[in-house]
Amino acid sequence: MNRKSRKFLPQDDFNKEGENYFLLPFRFININKHKELLVNDVGDYIISDIGTARKVVNREIDKSGSLYADLISKFFISEKDIPELIDIQATRYRTKKSFLDEFTALHIFVITLRCDHTCHYCQVSRQTSNKSKYDMSKKNLDRSIDLMFKSPSKHITMEFQGGEPLLAFDNVKYAIERADKLSKTNNKEITFVICTNLASITEEQLHFCKDHEVLISTSYDGPKFIHDSNRNFSKGSSHEVVTKKIDLVRKILGEDQISALMTTTNLTLQYPIEIIDDYLAMGFNNIFLRPISPYGFAIKNEKKNKYEIENFIDFYIKGLSHIIDINRKGRFFSEDYSTIILSKILTPLPVGYVDLQSPSGAINSAIVYNYNGFVYASDESRMLAEMSDETFNLGHVKDNSYNQIFYGEKSKNIAKYSCNEALPGCSECGFQTFCGADPIYNHATQGDMTGYRPTNGFCKKNMDIMRYLFNLISDDNDIMGIFTNWVHKGKYDFELRNEA
Amino acid sequence: MDISFNNNEIHINIDTSIFNIDAIHKCFYWYGDDYSVTINSSSDNSVFVMLKQKNGKIKSDEEDKLIDKINNDLLDFQTRDTVTKETKNIRDLLVAKAFAHSDIYDEDPPGEISDPVGFKV
Amino acid sequence: MKLNVKGVPLNIDHPLIGRIVKSHKEVSDQDEIILLSDKPINRQVNKNNILGLLTSQNITESGYENIKSLPTVHSLPYTDHLVDGDIVCINKNGFVNTLYRIDSVHNTLFMTDRCNSNCLMCSQPPKDRDDIDYFFDINMKLISKIPIETETIGITGGEPTLYGNKLVTLLNHLNKCLPETNVHILTNGRAFAWPSFVKKFDAINKSKAVFAVPLYSDYYQSHDYIVQAKDAFYQTIMGIHNLARYGIPIEIRIVLHKQSIYRLEALAEFIYRNMPFVSHVAFMGLEYIGYTPHNDKLLWIDPVEYQEELTKSVFFLASNGMNVSIYNLQFCILKKELWQFARQSISDWKQIYIDECQNCSQLENCGGLFASSIKKHSDYIQAFN
Repeated sequence: MNRKSRKFLPQDDFNKEGENYFLLPFRFININKHKELLVNDVGDYIISDIGTARKVVNREIDKSGSLYADLISKFFISEKDIPELIDIQATRYRTKKSFLDEFTALHIFVITLRCDHTCHYCQVSRQTSNKSKYDMSKKNLDRSIDLMFKSPSKHITMEFQGGEPLLAFDNVKYAIERADKLSKTNNKEITFVICTNLASITEEQLHFCKDHEVLISTSYDGPKFIHDSNRNFSKGSSHEVVTKKIDLVRKILGEDQISALMTTTNLTLQYPIEIIDDYLAMGFNNIFLRPISPYGFAIKNEKKNKYEIENFIDFYIKGLSHIIDINRKGRFFSEDYSTIILSKILTPLPVGYVDLQSPSGAINSAIVYNYNGFVYASDESRMLAEMSDETFNLGHVKDNSYNQIFYGEKSKNIAKYSCNEALPGCSECGFQTFCGADPIYNHATQGDMTGYRPTNGFCKKNMDIMRYLFNLISDDNDIMGIFTNWVHKGKYDFELRNEA
Repeated sequence: MDISFNNNEIHINIDTSIFNIDAIHKCFYWYGDDYSVTINSSSDNSVFVMLKQKNGKIKSDEEDKLIDKINNDLLDFQTRDTVTKETKNIRDLLVAKAFAHSDIYDEDPPGEISDPVGFKV
Repeated sequence: MKLNVKGVPLNIDHPLIGRIVKSHKEVSDQDEIILLSDKPINRQVNKNNILGLLTSQNITESGYENIKSLPTVHSLPYTDHLVDGDIVCINKNGFVNTLYRIDSVHNTLFMTDRCNSNCLMCSQPPKDRDDIDYFFDINMKLISKIPIETETIGITGGEPTLYGNKLVTLLNHLNKCLPETNVHILTNGRAFAWPSFVKKFDAINKSKAVFAVPLYSDYYQSHDYIVQAKDAFYQTIMGIHNLARYGIPIEIRIVLHKQSIYRLEALAEFIYRNMPFVSHVAFMGLEYIGYTPHNDKLLWIDPVEYQEELTKSVFFLASNGMNVSIYNLQFCILKKELWQFARQSISDWKQIYIDECQNCSQLENCGGLFASSIKKHSDYIQAFN
């Protein structure tokens, strides 16, 4: 304000000079026949008519229009070669990637391969009572725990998987007690999770869990005819047992200490509505709709994978529509995978989800200590090991140090393929900011960690889902309230509470 | 650019002064699911792309749609390539600033701050 | 509401600041007070702790011989607006300004008439003369006399950051004298874009301070036009980010008028994505005062006409977990969904209800109107049954 008078100046006086603008980094992709999506490096987006990106690049945008103002304010273009607010953008970028600050936070302990179920989709478990062969030894358990505490993460999650962890509960108990003690001397916060079919859980075990604030993650595939068809329990109906035990867990641990995970099969794909309604009736507030795992016998069958992804997308869309209707009627119920993607689209916050992040979650976010002492880059990595593929075996807890395992040659090699910013097909994809990289999936289904995007199942699944979500965002006026509510887990439910 | 059809093959001649070679590669990368793709330079400033449909013949009523698709895809990938090349430096700067350990790389604020009486920060 | 009164000065050679006491019986030896008395004072009064005297009487009449050397303002036309505990400034020219009212929750320190912006709707149009030393002295003295129980003190102007280093000095003095008092600083935030300046504010008590910064658009040209200052938008955003780096609480204020409405939702999204750390966002109805009547054609829009945009913007921020309020808008013109965000925000000394309001069932809950709204307000003010 150096001018001598306080006379009011017109709007045009506040234009910056120069006719031409500079481009800032962004990507674009069409979401339907009429609309395209433009996304910048921090996840801000514009939905506009097809051809907008071309117009932006060709400098054909009218400076006096609202699209021009949107492009400037959302950091798609700049009137200076270095935008005035570049440091704010840098802060936002740093924030988006800050899920990396903690490095490996999720530590999965495959405490035993023994199991009391024979679920037809399971590649791992063993029907046996041979503890010495298929349980994690105490020595390896100690070594794995020691490695876990070498992680720089201030909050670690110790997750027990199997087989069925309850069958080795003595070891689970020992591990939790030891880790709890060490968390105090190492000044780390620790969360415990047990992934279990709940069939054999006792009240005594649950009281132990309560004392250590253990979270339960159980497998629940929906109505009895689906659940029992998928999951075979030698002592009767798995569904009957698990529903009873879910009640018991809720009674002793509390409502919010148990979550359910569904495994998708060909049977599942036919009944999206029934499964969701059943989850609702069971008192769950969310469901995770996941594709059939490709980590099976015919893993490299591209036709089969493509077919299965297409069927899954059909199932997902039916399921999601039903879930959205449930929300419209006033009941909170969310879908987990959509919520993760929506958190990236709708908020400036970091979203670290192991299976959908760049850099990939393998090693950077999660690690697997197998029952036999070998350490794997991810859960899928050890499933590959079950099929004799040891590509992602990072070492052994007895023979290798933390540095050798987490920063060794194998780890560094995987890192080269872990950023979708630098992968063919992904580097200019409009969905890049919301997507991730999965070098292990690529290796398993296509034979190399780079992956071949045109036939890649991870790509197809994510593109289809993201396109679907963006179409809803573009067409449906009420959907933002519902999606925002999911992202914040129902905490800020203003839309549904508007009595004055 | 000209596009012609022959059984299950699509023959495309592209002027590389209009679509650069990077854009052409990135564009036809995505055709690899349904077609087998070969790209050869045919002269100093043109490139010959052959797409061989993997399953069955190309029907004559599909030809117009395919021409549209190829035209649009090339334009889109050329656009993307332009963005990538024009924004390379600013992207590097953005990431460098994001992960810098100190604020000495921060930009100075623009413009004037004083009122008519006179004020310096 | 009366905040000033003028009388005849006697023995005043510099501004005096002191707490009003009406009866000399209640005065302890330590207090420095200003006695307000209309009765003849015929007893010997301890002069040492009486800074000055205010009276509606004409001092030349008898009854005041023993305190004739005291700084005095006499022949005041009215004094009923002053109560025990109010703090006033007695000026050489006989003006008695109320600086602090004991019965009010809306006390502010007026810093300066200077400003480096020139907002189209400024309610306190700037004056380009250097008054900072004058007001700095007054405010420093005033701060030391404000009762320690005071919950909140506002800091306004003009633009307080034009104080430069003196602003930090004042804030620290305030925190020392009134450690439990919350300080609410109204500032355009522009100077904080300079790291060397904002760094100095690391030393203030951040748990007791909020910097309230106006932002009118997500698009730089629109904001710069409204505040009539080039680069103001970029400076303000950088300033807000710099304040956040030091953990200093920030509130964003958005005045609603014709120039800010058309991009309101875009602004809400801009705030959430780029400044999710701000502790409060306030959407404010326009006060018809200062520059506003002059710029009426550019600014005026009946609040009833922007309820859609306002609702979408408020709900967007609230559903993302941000703290949102609506100030200066009445229940009858707000959509019902927005009532939960409306606050009793108008400072008591400028708040009124118009005739239509007297029979309204929501009178107690509604924040009322600005006194200046007598000149212009919504066509849709209507009592609820």
